[in-house]
Amino acid sequence: MIFHKHQATVNDILSRYPVKRSAMLPLLNLAQKEEGYVSQAAIREIAGILDLTPPQVFETATFYTMLNLKPIGKFHVQVCRSLMCALVGADPLVDWLRKHLGIGLGQTTEDKMFTLSTVECLGSCGTGPMMQINDDYYERLTEDKVGRILKDLRETGDCSLKSGPFLVPERGEGVVSL
Amino acid sequence: MKTFEKILLTNMERPEYTGSLADYEGTGGYKALKTVLGKTPPNDLIEMVKKSGLRGRGGAGFPTGVKWGFIPKDHPGPKYLCCNADESEPGTFKDRQLMERDPHQILEGIAISCYAIGAQTAYIYIRGEFRLAAKILERAIAEAYRAGHLGADIHGSGVTVNVSVHAGAGAYICGEETALLESLEGKRGKPRTKPPFPATHGLYQKPTVVNNVETLANVPHIVNRGADWFASIGVPPKSTGTRVFCLSGHVKRPGNYELPVNATFRDLIFELGGGMRSDKPLKAFIPGGASAPFLTPDHVDVQMDFESVAMAGSMSGSGGITVMEEGTSMVWAALRLMEFFYHESCGKCTPCREGSSWIVQILQRIMNKQGRPDDLRTLTEICENIGGRTVCAFGDAEIAPVQSTLKYWRNEYEALIEEAEALKGSRKEIPVLSLA
Amino acid sequence: MSNTSTMVTLTIDGIRTEVPEGTLVIEAARQVGIMVPHFCYHPKLEPDANCRMCLVEIEKIPKLQTSCSTRVAEGMVVRSSVPHVESARKSVLELLLGNHPLDCPVCDQGGRCDLQDFSHEYTPTVSRFKELKRVFPKQYLGPVIETQMNRCVSCMRCVRYCDEVMDAQALAAEGRGTITQITHWAGNELECDMCGGCIQICPVGAITSRLSMYDYRPWMLKRTETICSYCGDGCQITVQRKDDQLIEVNSALGAGRNNGDLCVRGYFGYHAAEHPDRVQQPLVRQADGSFAEVTWEEALDRVARQFTRIKATHGSDAIGGLITTRCTNEDLYLFQKFMRVVIGTNQIDSGARYGHINGVRALRRVQGTHRWTIRYEDLAQADAIMLVGTNVNESNPITALHVKQAVKRKGAQLVTLESLLPVRSTVSNITTLSKHHLEVKSGQFSAAILGLVKAVVESNLVQEDVAREAPEFVQTIRTNVAKVSWDAIREQSGLSQTDVETAARTYSQAERAVVLVGREVLRSLGGEGLVTNLMDLQILTGHLRRSGSGLGCLAEGSNDQGAVEMGAVAEYFPGPAGLHDEESQKTLTRTWGQAVPAGAPATLPEVLTRARTGDIKSLFIVGDNPVESLPGDAGVTEALDALEFLVCQDLFLTETAKRAHVVFPACSAMEKDGTFTNTEGHVQSVRQATEPLGESRPDWEMFSALSVLMDHPIEYNEVKEIFKEIRGVIPGYGLLGPASTPPKVDEKTVAQYVTSGFKEDVDQRYTLDASPAAPEGALTLRLVQSLYHSGKYSTRAKGLMEIEGEGRLHVNAREAGRLGIEEGQTVRLANDGGQATVSVKLNDRVPDAVAWFPEHFDEPVRALFSLKVDPHTHVPVWKTAHVTVTKWSSTNRSIEERSRV
Ligand SMILES: Cc1cc2nc3c(=O)[nH]c(=O)nc-3n(C[C@H](O)[C@H](O)[C@H](O)COP(=O)(O)O)c2cc1C
Ligand code: SF4
Ligand code: FES
Repeated sequence: MIFHKHQATVNDILSRYPVKRSAMLPLLNLAQKEEGYVSQAAIREIAGILDLTPPQVFETATFYTMLNLKPIGKFHVQVCRSLMCALVGADPLVDWLRKHLGIGLGQTTEDKMFTLSTVECLGSCGTGPMMQINDDYYERLTEDKVGRILKDLRETGDCSLKSGPFLVPERGEGVVSL
Repeated sequence: MKTFEKILLTNMERPEYTGSLADYEGTGGYKALKTVLGKTPPNDLIEMVKKSGLRGRGGAGFPTGVKWGFIPKDHPGPKYLCCNADESEPGTFKDRQLMERDPHQILEGIAISCYAIGAQTAYIYIRGEFRLAAKILERAIAEAYRAGHLGADIHGSGVTVNVSVHAGAGAYICGEETALLESLEGKRGKPRTKPPFPATHGLYQKPTVVNNVETLANVPHIVNRGADWFASIGVPPKSTGTRVFCLSGHVKRPGNYELPVNATFRDLIFELGGGMRSDKPLKAFIPGGASAPFLTPDHVDVQMDFESVAMAGSMSGSGGITVMEEGTSMVWAALRLMEFFYHESCGKCTPCREGSSWIVQILQRIMNKQGRPDDLRTLTEICENIGGRTVCAFGDAEIAPVQSTLKYWRNEYEALIEEAEALKGSRKEIPVLSLA
Repeated sequence: MSNTSTMVTLTIDGIRTEVPEGTLVIEAARQVGIMVPHFCYHPKLEPDANCRMCLVEIEKIPKLQTSCSTRVAEGMVVRSSVPHVESARKSVLELLLGNHPLDCPVCDQGGRCDLQDFSHEYTPTVSRFKELKRVFPKQYLGPVIETQMNRCVSCMRCVRYCDEVMDAQALAAEGRGTITQITHWAGNELECDMCGGCIQICPVGAITSRLSMYDYRPWMLKRTETICSYCGDGCQITVQRKDDQLIEVNSALGAGRNNGDLCVRGYFGYHAAEHPDRVQQPLVRQADGSFAEVTWEEALDRVARQFTRIKATHGSDAIGGLITTRCTNEDLYLFQKFMRVVIGTNQIDSGARYGHINGVRALRRVQGTHRWTIRYEDLAQADAIMLVGTNVNESNPITALHVKQAVKRKGAQLVTLESLLPVRSTVSNITTLSKHHLEVKSGQFSAAILGLVKAVVESNLVQEDVAREAPEFVQTIRTNVAKVSWDAIREQSGLSQTDVETAARTYSQAERAVVLVGREVLRSLGGEGLVTNLMDLQILTGHLRRSGSGLGCLAEGSNDQGAVEMGAVAEYFPGPAGLHDEESQKTLTRTWGQAVPAGAPATLPEVLTRARTGDIKSLFIVGDNPVESLPGDAGVTEALDALEFLVCQDLFLTETAKRAHVVFPACSAMEKDGTFTNTEGHVQSVRQATEPLGESRPDWEMFSALSVLMDHPIEYNEVKEIFKEIRGVIPGYGLLGPASTPPKVDEKTVAQYVTSGFKEDVDQRYTLDASPAAPEGALTLRLVQSLYHSGKYSTRAKGLMEIEGEGRLHVNAREAGRLGIEEGQTVRLANDGGQATVSVKLNDRVPDAVAWFPEHFDEPVRALFSLKVDPHTHVPVWKTAHVTVTKWSSTNRSIEERSRV
């Protein structure tokens, strides 16, 4: 029972919508947060909560690329490969990560720490190349920086290089008043 | 030299500004809300927004006041407002900044807009990846509830507005307004056939307005300073106000720059953006997000208002300007965007679903020097058969990169195909389809 | 709706036409003979406009529009074949064919495939698509359905059908974009109604039946339109055969009462007819007890001589007859005529005795007509529908579809009084659509119905004019229901006063309201009284006479209704008319050229009793199988063994037929002509679709042949002549077919009923009977109808056996937890009657403290049940028992198995 201990959250989510089914994505996101992926058990539970059938939940889940239907590594490294990031070096970054982690795209390191994927535009086109690891964005990446991020994550589970509230160009940085 | 007044970014660019409720109120925040709620008749607000000339910042540029006016007044309700914070158009990253840096500006806009259209419930549909922005918005919503700016009977006005954040889970198409509604209803994010339009049959088949984050953020300022003030900025009467343009690609200083819409691409790229990042000259730029046809250096002096960009053969779209320097392969650029569209097509319409995968395969082949002489004709025809034949505007969007690069840089395609012809015979044709 | 709709004039390809407002352009075009090519559009589904094939040009609209989603407007000018449009179509085809495999030669859809047909019409044969096609592995969605997703055109018709029409939501569109595929979910085996709708509605060959895979090319098939014999809904089916082999059954849109929909039995159950166990030759019992295959002459002669002898020695009433309601009207009519005219007895009964008779008797009593006064079309228009003990999804799946449509499309308010939990799963469950679901304790419908009437009377829901015109009727009922307390009702039925009252209000206040009554009521003790009480409810709420309102009893057998109308039941002559009805006696005497017999009738239980006591010496059993339709303690075998001479006429050597002296091999419904009367009262043509197997013959031919041999010839050249005779003896018996309007209530009968008729038994009908409480710790075991089967006949259909091949004990997860048992485990059931070991299946719609077992496989558990006979209507009631359940561990079992060896 995935949602058992989150009963209050589930109730809060349900209370926001006049139609239960709207709680679908919030619950799927919650399930993924809880287990790292959306398990079949979670799908059944969500179906039960929303008064739907498992196929209805399943087909919805498979539409959304952030939802993993299979277990993945502890850290999901997702590098933006869309044009804007590619213009400023996303491809070499992906290559570097592949080599450094020793895995291909869509694969997980043997220690189950990292899963590497490329994704489409994440809305950081001015600060590329960039990647998202779990909930956090890391931007203006260089090989050194990525090396440090992976190391920190592996060692401490966290990394101070993640982005804070977004503002670009940053204050004082090249603001030209015309 | 021109001076550009900023509206939305003024606060957040001040060093001490954190975006907290206190900060926002300290700069006159929620004044507009208190002024109008329960006092100004909703219809007057709609008229005010119409008069301001505010147009949607989400991409289509539809006049906001007019859209609000479509909401049936005699409908018993409920009615809904959806704030479109799905920001997934490649090259666009302004809403993220607006949300993370000044969430109350948006919430105030939402509350006023709800009042104007008679909605008691608003959902902020935010793309799933924006975890930080979602967290910041949720915190701000809690603050606003505590301060009585949201919730039941706001400031004793008898008006109720409830706002919640609804996170997506990875689907560009959910930025399309009807797909957004489907997704918000807990379904696969497939656009709906219009008519009926959301104004009458929106969320849960009830009257609904979908507005972009930036659009809504402008509303408090229009209330505070008047429709005439807003209408005087830009290129009145059709394109008014400022826009937050997102500059990316091969420039020195990429970022979000707020400019009145009568500024030119040159102002943005060469003045604010500091010009090209290296000594290579400008080769091409996309003037309005991935869905906008590419433009050339000949177009840098075009003004960035909706009409001027359209006249130049593209669209101002979401306001994302991506700059490419000499040496960038335009076939490659088109392919990258096409791969994006292929990945993001919801799959509902045959032309979009099948066409995007076909185009990607052809472009990949051409890039891999396995192009065929008739490929360009095939590409052109596929594009023609997608445009205008699909449920949503995604179909029109996805052909923009191919059509425009074919128009301006056909020689690059031809060169690759010629190379392929030259190589023909010397190697086996290995089909390529990488579904990254 | 249609009566108030305004008409809109438009022009399509130069043709001016007028259609109702709201019509889709594609439909308007169809009406003037223009077929706009399409994939995703289907009249049964909400428009989705995804395939983009049906684009047309509409004047004043710049872009091409999808005709499947655009509604007509006044003055609209549509062009469907201008070059612009044609080129768009070609392009869609080219795009679809891009990823579509060119496997037409091995595709079951080849020859009737929309993609093939349109491609033929619109595309040049060369495709420019020279890239890689996406490839999906072929999948089995469970035992009978296969998917080949490479062929899928993403029209989503299957998924939409499964959701919108079936309300099963069992299919999922997995993934996005080009790699979308139709699956059940995450590799789980498909569990659903298995209606085959997804196969039928797929415009290409992406979803096909595993029963007929690769067996045929469509143009090799011979088609026959006939009626399914699995239930009383009477679906129109198209039987397709190659040579004499049954290949497939499907149903055409627009045809029959089912309009193209079928259930699992109709779609996958056709193989029963050609089961190798069919009796193919007349059998005669030898001195050593074994059967010998003989010629027809020999068998018929033997029977004729025995019947003649017994009649001569012991009188006509030493012979009785039983017939199944799977027979046609003509068979049923001729059987009763044979029994009355040639044998000279009224001791005739049929399968209608198992419950349907209760409904017909009540209807005749209160409204004068024995048929529904409503039709499926009225269901679609109803404002409220009430289901009482129907289990309609399982017993009458197509009636269930009409109910679903009424609720889902038209917003009818559904009230359900069912012993089911409203749990949603991928098998549709009508109670999940309910606005007011009243979960009635198993077997306690009497209290529930009483509660409804009480609620109507006490909540001022009685129509004013009824109170005015029949004050005594209203007052008597009021006095009666006042005597029963809500506490007592709740105690017995499990329903609360408020719930019953809200439901009663919804039902009463609806403008048009329909009640459907099902097996839980019809097959219960006092069933006739319960239906009568529901008719009282109809009177009180004013729904009895209102057009569009009415009460229908759901017929389970394919010709339950026909059996009663043909006089193949103890209490009626054809009509049905009472045995003492002088008018009827006169007509029959005239038509038959002989007076009707004067002897007393005998119902099924009476026939058996009389056989046991030796009063009846010989039985003629046609298709009925009392040995397996009644529990062990009914003494059927004793009765049959006591007979001097038993004749069975059947498809199979059933447990009953095994005891016969002579067995006649009968034709299945696929092999003969005739008519069935469906639950609504529609008389529909059954047509011969395959050659009779072996020496089998249509039932009526045997009666006719015997009559000749017994010197009482009743002869016909063909079935139609029998039907003509039927029309002659039943006044007002209409022509064939679905066009007949529903009969109206007979005002005289109603007036008689409300002034005096009701008094006869009103006091008994409005009391709560003290129903025996379940013993402490016991589970209520119920034999239920499974969706996947029909009687025992369907257990011979290999497709259905693949889906459900054995009987399992269904309990809900809570109950299983309480009993400490799990899915798949073996348990032992026991009570005074005996014991049984069965395996467990979890099913969350089974109520707490109850277990279900499919009646089609009841053999191992039959000993646990005991028979009760309704004292009034003689309906045998026995499908409920109380049992204890214990886990039967696998070790125990192996010991048992070893000792058996
Ligand atoms: C494929 C597609 C993607 C879109 N994505 C977004 C988006 O991410 N954010 C947004 O605000 N509008 C997006 N739009 C535009 C919306 O459909 C809609 O026009 C907009 O939200 C309306 O708000 P506005 O009038 O304030 O611009 C998209 C449109 C299409 C066709
Ligand atoms: S155009 Fe593409 S994205 Fe839009 S509805 Fe059709 S398939 Fe989906
Ligand atoms: S292109 Fe990389 S974040 Fe937009």
